[in-house]
Amino acid sequence: MAKILLVEDNEMNRDMLSRRLSRNGFDIIIAVNGQEGVDLALSQSPDLILMDMSLPVLDGWEATRQLKANAATAGIPVIALTAHAMVQDKEKAMAAGCDEFDTKPVELPRLLEKINSLLRAT
Amino acid sequence: MADSKIKSKAGTNTGKENALLRATLENMAQGVAMYDADHRLVTWNELFRQYLEMPDEFLGTNKTFSDYIRFIGERGEFGKDADIEAELKKRLIQLDHSHSFERVRPDGTVLEVRRDPVPGGGFIAIYTDITERKKAEMQLREDEERFRAIDAAAPVGLIIVNARDQTLLHLNPSFCEMVGKDAGALLGKPISSIFGDSEKSKELSDIVNSTSAERKEFHFRKPNGAASCLMVSHAALDFRGEKAIIASFVDINDRVRAELELRQAKEAAESASRVKSAFLANMSHELRTPLNAIIGYSEILQEDAADRGDKASIADLEKIQAAGKHLLGLINDILDLSKIEAGRMDVYLEQVFLSRLVDEVKTIVEPMVKKNGNTLVIDCPADIGSLRTDMTKLKQSVINLLSNAAKFTKEGTVTLRISRQAADGETPWIKFEIIDSGIGMTDEQMGRLFQAFTQADSSTTRNFGGTGLGLTITKHFCAMLGGSIDVKSTPGQGSTFTILLPDRAAKSGQTDDEFDTERVSVIPGPSSGAINVLVVDDDPVVHDVLAATLGKEGYHLTHARDGLEALNIMRTNPPDIVTLDVMMPKVDGWSVLGIMKSEAQLEHIPVIMLTIVDDRNLGFSLGASEYMTKPIDRNRLIALIQKFSPSKKDGVVLVVDDDADVRSMIGTTIESVGMQVAEAANGQAALDWLGANPKPALVLLDLMMPKMDGFEFLERTRDNPEFIDLPIVVLTAKELTDNERSFLAERTLLVLSKSAQPIGKLGFALAAIAGRSRNTKNAEAAGGKV
Repeated sequence: MAKILLVEDNEMNRDMLSRRLSRNGFDIIIAVNGQEGVDLALSQSPDLILMDMSLPVLDGWEATRQLKANAATAGIPVIALTAHAMVQDKEKAMAAGCDEFDTKPVELPRLLEKINSLLRAT
Repeated sequence: MADSKIKSKAGTNTGKENALLRATLENMAQGVAMYDADHRLVTWNELFRQYLEMPDEFLGTNKTFSDYIRFIGERGEFGKDADIEAELKKRLIQLDHSHSFERVRPDGTVLEVRRDPVPGGGFIAIYTDITERKKAEMQLREDEERFRAIDAAAPVGLIIVNARDQTLLHLNPSFCEMVGKDAGALLGKPISSIFGDSEKSKELSDIVNSTSAERKEFHFRKPNGAASCLMVSHAALDFRGEKAIIASFVDINDRVRAELELRQAKEAAESASRVKSAFLANMSHELRTPLNAIIGYSEILQEDAADRGDKASIADLEKIQAAGKHLLGLINDILDLSKIEAGRMDVYLEQVFLSRLVDEVKTIVEPMVKKNGNTLVIDCPADIGSLRTDMTKLKQSVINLLSNAAKFTKEGTVTLRISRQAADGETPWIKFEIIDSGIGMTDEQMGRLFQAFTQADSSTTRNFGGTGLGLTITKHFCAMLGGSIDVKSTPGQGSTFTILLPDRAAKSGQTDDEFDTERVSVIPGPSSGAINVLVVDDDPVVHDVLAATLGKEGYHLTHARDGLEALNIMRTNPPDIVTLDVMMPKVDGWSVLGIMKSEAQLEHIPVIMLTIVDDRNLGFSLGASEYMTKPIDRNRLIALIQKFSPSKKDGVVLVVDDDADVRSMIGTTIESVGMQVAEAANGQAALDWLGANPKPALVLLDLMMPKMDGFEFLERTRDNPEFIDLPIVVLTAKELTDNERSFLAERTLLVLSKSAQPIGKLGFALAAIAGRSRNTKNAEAAGGKV
């Protein structure tokens, strides 16, 4: 079972997405801010990370940069999740090292396709 | 004129003296009259008689001065109601001393009258005509009065400065008011005394003494501290015989203030617009977050309810979710508009195939149209072809208009009509008409239609929903794509919205060298035996020439004499290549070409136009592969036929994707256009296949794959001289970074997005790409030109 780290500070979004992903057969671990996300990625070695970008303590862009700079976590694909739909938000996320990008509200089939595609590639 | 009566009274004079006096009097420029002690007129000259129109009865008779005064008084020369006796008395009193006065005669002439008593009684009167002098004096006085009035009343400040010593020769009241100084204190003083401040004085002096006629602004402070600005112009002047300068000053404080206010208002508006855009962007974020929960939880609950088999809940939850998605749509509209207004909306140009666009639009709007009991009519010629534009924006615009039409029409018809506009030598236009039989609009409603945040009627929002932004966004989109939108409507009878877009939208600053799928030919399916060439021409000579030329090269020819016959032959026995004339009976060549490109079965057959009509652009835009003008150049024709001849080994597309479903879907569409498919599940498998098989016509490559991803595959193949020119097209769902884009641009023909097009319909495009890349290679190998 693929293990997904969900980094999200909003409780509702966290609850919703984790429930729906669990239902689709993923093992979900949760972090509520960027720092916790980086720590959990190191200790739990997830197969994929879903990263909200506006996060407390350490934001998603910085957390992703740290993950991609560390050889131990650089190989874990990161999908940026953000409600910012502006093109430059996407560019910013990709520049930080994210492998994929999706906007909220999440369209589950689209997100699942991206998750599966990245998981197959690794 | 002198007669005997005149001389007779001068009895004491000798004849000689008399004659001398006579000559003197008559040569004088004045009228002269002499009266004796009894006030009788004794001597006079002709001018006297003329000036006073004196009748003969007063000349040299016993009539006296008093009789004469009474006479002219009665004649009205002292005024209509004058007291003649009083006038006489006044004159008689004056006679004892020298006196003079001016008299204005009724005819307007002015006489200066001078009377001097003579010793021994009597007097002499001399009359001078001073009419001209008086007129000149009057004119001068009037001029001066006029000048004074203007000088005093003009809102323009005026000063006259002595050019030599810079003293002020004149200052008008307006000037004094403008500078807040008293004329008396400045007159005769140097110009520098106006402003104590030496710098300002020098500045004004420089302006006034400048040799340039240019007007200058002069900013200064009045004695009360108020800032002021004057526009100064000046000119040279001769004043009282001296060289002088006249300078005029216009108060431009109102203008300066208005400009300042305008600038401030503009800055405020721009700032407000920026703030609004930022606000909207933030707002949309804030709105999306709770919506995320609404849509997401209603989806989760639907899944739960489905598990429990609770159909009633599913229906309700679907409504919540639909409402959430609707709200999301509205927010997206607002975001779009704020992006447009902030100038952050980008245009992505691509070749848009209209038949595909119609299919997609139809799928989306059909449910909306049917909701109000309407019928959706699509009126679009099958051979409409494609245009170069921004697919997303065009689709959104058409869907906007169609959903509006559906909203405002009940049990009627909503029509989407697409046509090509006959172009007058310029870029051809594509016309999209969205016609409904709905409630229509008044002129006044139409006037407000494209403005943001207004709907035709404020009650519209209540009755029909929507943000009222759709049309504004659509209008912006049309403008961004180089086109326009227009509306015609009659209340109660429906509306027609018309979008006109150029066949090729221009994107400034970008060279238009991207891959153009419209012009490339398509490789036909594998065939056996000789290559079959269909020659379509109404001229038998052409058939003979081609039969001789191509027959010798081993081609098999079939012949059609007109367009109709050609289409019949093509449909029953598809040829490998068609040569096509334009001017033919029944159906002409353009129509044949258009029909071929609209029929799946014929679309891929390469067409070589062979005609005397030199209209390459039309030919290529209709999908011709090549264009030759008559007379026929046989060698070139053979080269072209060779170029488009199919050969078996080129007909393979290698599909590299880790998703078996994707491979299967693409395989089906590729086979449907007559090509063969090979599959590989990752980069390594693809390399293995390439090592074991002849080179394929095309490789379709996914990027994210296990074992070896698309990027590594590209690096490995491009490093290998054998595969350096292997045609590769990327098909990916991945969002690409700029670096990745440029990496792929260097190594692949084209990057297609899985989300941008239905994968199941890619066949023709891929066949076209394979065909183009093969043709290029063949032509290079043959040393010919493409």
